[in-house]
Amino acid sequence: MIELSKGQTEILELPLDRRIWLEGMAGGGKTTVAVRRVLHLLASGVPAESILIFVPQRSLAQPYIRALRGLTSHRGGQVSIHTIGSLSLQMVETFWFLIAGQAGFKHPQDLPNFLSLELVQYFMTRAIEPLVDKRDYFSSVRIDRPRLYSQIVDNMNKAALVGFPISEIGSRLKSALASGVEQAHIFDDAQTCAMAFRQYCLKHNLLDFSLQLEVFRAHVWAAPAARRYLRGRYRHLIVDGLEEDNPASQEFLKDLLESCQSALILYDRDAGFRRFLGADPDSARRLRERCEVKATLEDSFVMGPEVSALGAALAGQLGVTVSVESEADPRRALITVAHRYHPEMVDWVAEQAAFLARERGVPPNEIVILAPFLSDALRFGLVDGLERRGIPWRTHRPSRALRDEPAARTLLTLARLAHPQWGLPPTDFDVVLALMAAIDGLDLVRAKLLTEMLYREDRLLQFAEVHSTAMQERITFDLGERYDRLANWLNRYIDGGRADAIDIFFRRIFGGLLSRAGFGFHDDIDAGNISMNLVDSAREFRWALDFMSRYDAQIDLGLDYVKMVDRGVIANSYLRDWIADVEESVLIAPAYTFLLNNRPVDYQFWLNIGSEGWSRRLYQPLTHPHVLSRGWPPGAVWSEDDEQAMNRLTLGRLLLALTRRCRKAVYLGYSELSESGYEPRGLLLETIQGLLRRLAREEQHV
Amino acid sequence: MNLSDDFAFTQGSLGDYADCARRFELRFIKRVRYPALEVQDALGFETRTRQGARFHKMVQQHLLGVPAEALAASLADDEELARWWANYLARGLTDLPTQRLSEITLQTHLAGRRLVAKYDLLALAPGGRAVIVDWKTGARVPSQSSLRGRMQTIVYRYVLAQAGAHLYAGERIPPERIRMDYVYVAAGGERVSFAYSAAQMREDEALLAEMIAAIDRAETFPLTDDARRCRFCSYRSLCDRGGAGRLEDFDFDEYEYEDEEIFALDFDQIAEIEF
Ligand code: SF4
Repeated sequence: MIELSKGQTEILELPLDRRIWLEGMAGGGKTTVAVRRVLHLLASGVPAESILIFVPQRSLAQPYIRALRGLTSHRGGQVSIHTIGSLSLQMVETFWFLIAGQAGFKHPQDLPNFLSLELVQYFMTRAIEPLVDKRDYFSSVRIDRPRLYSQIVDNMNKAALVGFPISEIGSRLKSALASGVEQAHIFDDAQTCAMAFRQYCLKHNLLDFSLQLEVFRAHVWAAPAARRYLRGRYRHLIVDGLEEDNPASQEFLKDLLESCQSALILYDRDAGFRRFLGADPDSARRLRERCEVKATLEDSFVMGPEVSALGAALAGQLGVTVSVESEADPRRALITVAHRYHPEMVDWVAEQAAFLARERGVPPNEIVILAPFLSDALRFGLVDGLERRGIPWRTHRPSRALRDEPAARTLLTLARLAHPQWGLPPTDFDVVLALMAAIDGLDLVRAKLLTEMLYREDRLLQFAEVHSTAMQERITFDLGERYDRLANWLNRYIDGGRADAIDIFFRRIFGGLLSRAGFGFHDDIDAGNISMNLVDSAREFRWALDFMSRYDAQIDLGLDYVKMVDRGVIANSYLRDWIADVEESVLIAPAYTFLLNNRPVDYQFWLNIGSEGWSRRLYQPLTHPHVLSRGWPPGAVWSEDDEQAMNRLTLGRLLLALTRRCRKAVYLGYSELSESGYEPRGLLLETIQGLLRRLAREEQHV
Repeated sequence: MNLSDDFAFTQGSLGDYADCARRFELRFIKRVRYPALEVQDALGFETRTRQGARFHKMVQQHLLGVPAEALAASLADDEELARWWANYLARGLTDLPTQRLSEITLQTHLAGRRLVAKYDLLALAPGGRAVIVDWKTGARVPSQSSLRGRMQTIVYRYVLAQAGAHLYAGERIPPERIRMDYVYVAAGGERVSFAYSAAQMREDEALLAEMIAAIDRAETFPLTDDARRCRFCSYRSLCDRGGAGRLEDFDFDEYEYEDEEIFALDFDQIAEIEF
C-alpha cells in the first residue's frame, strides 16, 4: 500500500462523523486518501451498505473497485458505487408504481421501459421522423438524420442535467444563436421534435436518460418512501470528481449530505474539462459550505516540476490561470521533431515509444499516445509501427460497429436468407462472406463459386444442383456436404413457415449449426462473444417493442431490427468488454478518453498538434454546450468572440488536465502536412509556437 | 492460479464447478459468452425466467415501501404471477423477525478467496433469530434432502454466520440462531426450512475450503461424464454434447435470478468519442 503524506494521513484520520471538503490539483493524492478512507470506515466497523461512492462516470470508480475487490479479509456487506445515471435508474425502477401516475405516464400500472442509447435513437426515429418528413424540418442542415436526432437527444439530456424544462430549449438556443430566420426555424423545429419525443415517451412508458433523470428529481426524490430509503441507507458519502459532475448530481448530493453522518468530497481545482458533458465546477463549490472540515492537498505527486511548468505555461498562453506556478523551464518537458509528412511523424512516434520502452526501461503502460480523434488510418499506422518494433499496444476507441464484425454480419445475412417475407434478400457479396464465415475451411474462391451457382431467387439450392462433377470436385464434396447442411437448415426453417423472434433465430442457428464441429464459429470464442452481443441487442429491441405492442400496432420486429441495423441506428456500437486489456501495453486513445479514465502516466505523446480538433467543437447545428449550461445568462448572444474565447479556454483546460496526468515529459507529433495533406494551423500548434517564442525572447532579455 | 486475485466465489460458480469443471472454466476463467439456446422452447423459457425476475423485483419493491395493492394492480395481464404474489402476501412473510433487508449481498473470505452471497431477504432480530429467505418459483417442491445438499443452502448459511455481525448489533450470529427458508410461491407458499449449527458450519467450511483450493490447484477442467448435466448448458455445441433440452424438464428451482442487466445509461457514454 502507498505510504501517505502527513497531510493525507491527517485527513484520513479525521473522526468518522465529519463532512470533509478536500480540494487540490489533480495528482495531489485526493483519490488515494478517499480510497483509504473507505477502507478505514470499513475497518472501524461502519457497515459497508451504508457507504455510497458517487462518481461522475464509472471509469473514475476503478481505484475504489480495485481496492474493495482486493479486500480478501473483509467480512460484511457491499459498498455501493453509483453515478447519477445508475442511481436514478435504480430508484425510478424501484419506486415506479408510486410515482408513475403523477409523473404523467399514460399507463402507470404498467412497467417502465428504460431505453438504452440505441433504443433512444430508434424511438426518436419512430416518433419524430413522420413529422420531420411531413413538415420538411431541418432541410437546410447538412448532416445525416441519426446525428441530427442525437443532437435533439443531447439537448434534452442537457436540460435535465442543468435543470431547466425541455420546453425552453428552443428559446434559449434562439436568443443566443439565431442570426437569421432560417436559423430560428431550425431551433423551433428542434424544440417541436423534443416535445414530440417527450409526449411519445410519456404515452408509451418509455424513459430516455433525460426523462429518467427528471422523474428521479421531481418525483422519486420527493417521495417520502424513497427519501427515507436513500437517507436511511447511505450514511457515509464519498464523492470523487465533483467538479466534473453536473448540476443534477450536485443538487442531489447537497440534499443527501444533510443527513449523512460523514462525507469526503473531492474537488479538483483548475479542472472541469467535462463541461461538454454538463460538468459545472462553479456550482459544485456550493457543497463546500456544507462541510465542517475544509482541507487542501496542494502538491502534485504526479508531475515533475518541468511538466508542471509546461501545463501552467500552456494554459497561461490560453488565458487559463493556474493556482500553482512552477519556476522550472517548461521546454525541458517537451520533446519534438518536425516532420514534413504525416506518416513520417507517425513512424517517429512509434520509434520514440519503442525507444522509451526498450532502451530506457519505461513500462509500456506508462506511455500513452493521444490525438483529438483516432482515425482508422492513424490507428493503423501507430499499431503497425509499434508491432514492427515488438511493443505491445492497446487502444481505447470505446466502440465500433457491431454489424461490421464478420460473425454479426454472417448472422444478419443468414437472417435475411431465412426470412424471404421481409423482401430484403442479401447481396451476392454478403452471401459469399457469410458462406466463408459459416463453413469452416471454405475459401473466397469456392464461396464465390457456390454463390454464383447456387444462390438463386433468394434461396440457397442444394450442392447437387452444381451440374458438373468437375466443379463439385473442385469445391470438394466435404465442403459441399457442410454447405448442404447449412442450406437445408435454412430451407427447412423457411418451408416450416417458422418465424422465430430475431434474437432467438440467431441463437438457434448459432447453437444448432454454426458453432458445431465443421462450421465457422466452432471453438471460436470471439465469434461466440460477438454473436452474444448481437443477441443482446436484438433481444433488448424485441423486449422494448413487444412492450409497445400493447399500445401500438404490431410490427415485424425482425424486419425492423435488420433495417435499423442497416441504417446504423441499432447495433452501431458495442464495447468489446470481454477483451481483457493487456495491462503492460502502450495506450492509443483520443485525448478525452484518456482523461476520463483518470490514470496518470510517465510519458504522453500528443499527435496531430496542428489539428483544429484539439480546440474546436464538432459541427452541431442543433445544440450548444455553453448556451445550454447553467452559467449562460438568459438573453445573452453568443458571438464569434465567445466562440474563440471558448475554444481557447477549452484547450487551456484540456492541456492542464493532460499535463496533470503526466509525470515526466510530453512528446509532440507534428508534421508540416496533415493526415489529409493540408498545412495545419490549429490553436494547439499556435499556442506551443507562441510559448516557445516567448520563452526564447525572455531568455534573450536575461 | 486459474482465477484473478479478486475473483469472488458464489453459490452459482461453486455449483457450476460441482456440476462440470469445464463449464466453470468456460464461464469464469475464460469468460466465454455463448448464445446457444438452453431449451428448445426459447420463448417459453424466457417468459418463465422473466416472471421469476419480476417476482423478485416486486418483493423488493414491497419491502422498500411500495404498497402491495399498487404492485398487484400491475399484474392484470399475468394470472400466474398474480397467484405467486397472492401466495407471497398470504404466507411469504409469516414467522419472520421484523428487521428485514431485501436483496442484500454479504461477503466473507475462505481459503484466501472472497465468498459472496446475495440474499433475497434477511430477517433478523439482533440477539434473536436470523432467517434467510429465498423465493422459489418452481412448481415442484424438491425433497428436503436434495435441498439440504444444495450449494445454496451451504453457502448462504455459512456466509451469514461469518459476515452478518454488522446486522446483528456487532455480534457474530451464533449458527444456532440461523435458519434458511425456501419459500415456494408457485406451490401455495410452501416453506422448507433448515436450521444451522456450529458443527454444520465447520463441516460446510471444510467442504467449501476444499472446493476452492481444488479449483485454485486445478490444471485441467474436464468435461462432466454425466451427459444429463449438459442438457441445459449453453456450451453444448462447444463440447459436442447434443441439442437443447425440453422446457418441461428444466428445473427452475436451481435457476439463479440475476437482475436484468441494468444498462446504466450514463450521459458520459454519449460523447466519449465526439466532444
Ligand atoms: S456442455 Fe456439458 S461438458 Fe460442456 S460445459 Fe456444459 S455441462 Fe460441461
